[in-house]
Amino acid sequence: MLSAEKNERLTRVGPGTPMGELLRRYWWPVATHDMATRVPVKRRLLGEDLVLYRDGSGTVGLLAEQCPHRRAALWLGCTEDVGLRCGYHGWRFDASGRCLEQPGEPVESTFKERITATAYPVRELGGLVFAYLGPLPAPELPRYDLFVWDDAWRDIGHAELPCNFVQIMENSVDPYHVEWLHGRYGNFLRELGGKDAPLPVVSKKHVKVAFEVFEHGILKRRVLEGHTEEDEDWRVGHPLVFPHMLRVGAAGLATFQIRVPIDDENTWHVWYQTYRPDGGAPPQESIPVYEVPLLDDRGEYLRDYVDGQDIVAWITQGRISDRSKEHLGRSDLGVILLRRLYAEQMDAVERGEDPLCTFREPHEVIDLPMEREKFGSAVEFRQLWTRESSIRYSPIKDEIFELFGDPVPAWM
Amino acid sequence: MRSRLDVRYWVGARYCPGCGSVLGDAAFVQEFWSGADRHFLCWCAACQLMCTVVIGALVGTEPER
Repeated sequence: MLSAEKNERLTRVGPGTPMGELLRRYWWPVATHDMATRVPVKRRLLGEDLVLYRDGSGTVGLLAEQCPHRRAALWLGCTEDVGLRCGYHGWRFDASGRCLEQPGEPVESTFKERITATAYPVRELGGLVFAYLGPLPAPELPRYDLFVWDDAWRDIGHAELPCNFVQIMENSVDPYHVEWLHGRYGNFLRELGGKDAPLPVVSKKHVKVAFEVFEHGILKRRVLEGHTEEDEDWRVGHPLVFPHMLRVGAAGLATFQIRVPIDDENTWHVWYQTYRPDGGAPPQESIPVYEVPLLDDRGEYLRDYVDGQDIVAWITQGRISDRSKEHLGRSDLGVILLRRLYAEQMDAVERGEDPLCTFREPHEVIDLPMEREKFGSAVEFRQLWTRESSIRYSPIKDEIFELFGDPVPAWM
Repeated sequence: MRSRLDVRYWVGARYCPGCGSVLGDAAFVQEFWSGADRHFLCWCAACQLMCTVVIGALVGTEPER
């Protein structure tokens, strides 16, 4: 168990909370590229209501939702050549929050010079719009490898999940769930559905797991039944990137699962996929964006694939998992390590220090470790991954097989 | 007033075994089980010590003479 007080500390993300202050030291994806248009849209991040827009000059802005004038929502507004104009009385603001115009005020008035909308820095990278809600100066936006490779294809799946982000992150340091949730339970569903063949990969027993706090977060290693410490799953492993991402994949497929706290009880989950065959991919015209469904036609949670099973496990823990009622054992040491790391980094912020994974120096790329070979042949892995991950909903999944020169699998 | 669950929790690890500071808000105390033993992983924000406090049946044995 964890005390109720410590659970609050671990899970509350709003302004002024210890976790909220820690998370405000990082850049967060607030939107996909297709959401930043001339039409202002409402977004919510770390418990704050925001409005995202792209003005006529191409500048992307992120302002607090309420207009400083009479508090109407700024998504009820028009983008101009420069800035966003409130739809209620026409006050206009630029991306720094400066008030440029107050049409109803006397021409000679200097009132607008004393008015500022709350504005946050935004940057675009790899098809995502990142925002920084913390104290200035902002750290560098980390240029993690998947965001910046120029010889890979990408697609971006996303969904809003009705639960706190920490229980999703904990799943990333809980390797044993793979053989049970995706192995036994997943295969149970396959049996019920008349599919005899169990999924070969996820059913393997974990012989040994290890977690190591390192410069990018927590490196997870494992030895599965039939494998050895010479295999890349142990020798290289793959990382939980602190404080909010999992990197996973193999065989030219690599994914960031990005867990973005909308507020205490909701998380925007982004599956950021890259496809990089040997020798690189040709240029991609644009990055497709798609929504990952949570429910089937009957309104039941989709559970017939690996990512869907994960989603249901996260959501059914409750909006905020009540950790005062849990019973952890030795197989939960990864989860405990992650919670301890959050506690340590919250304390670092309270002491005025930069927490883990904040970067102050400009850089070209941050390379992260991840196993390249995994679970048998690369073709088999790609075929399995495209069916069992959110890629099954990608609008370019057919083209991905072509990109790698793989046969189209029978299930498609 | 603390709930029964919280009392059980605080009995396990209230002070840092290293420096004696109260394991307060900033500290991390997590209970987990290993067989019949209750463990508390503790991280002290005052001295940065991470350790495990084990509450179990205490059996002391002396080497055979």
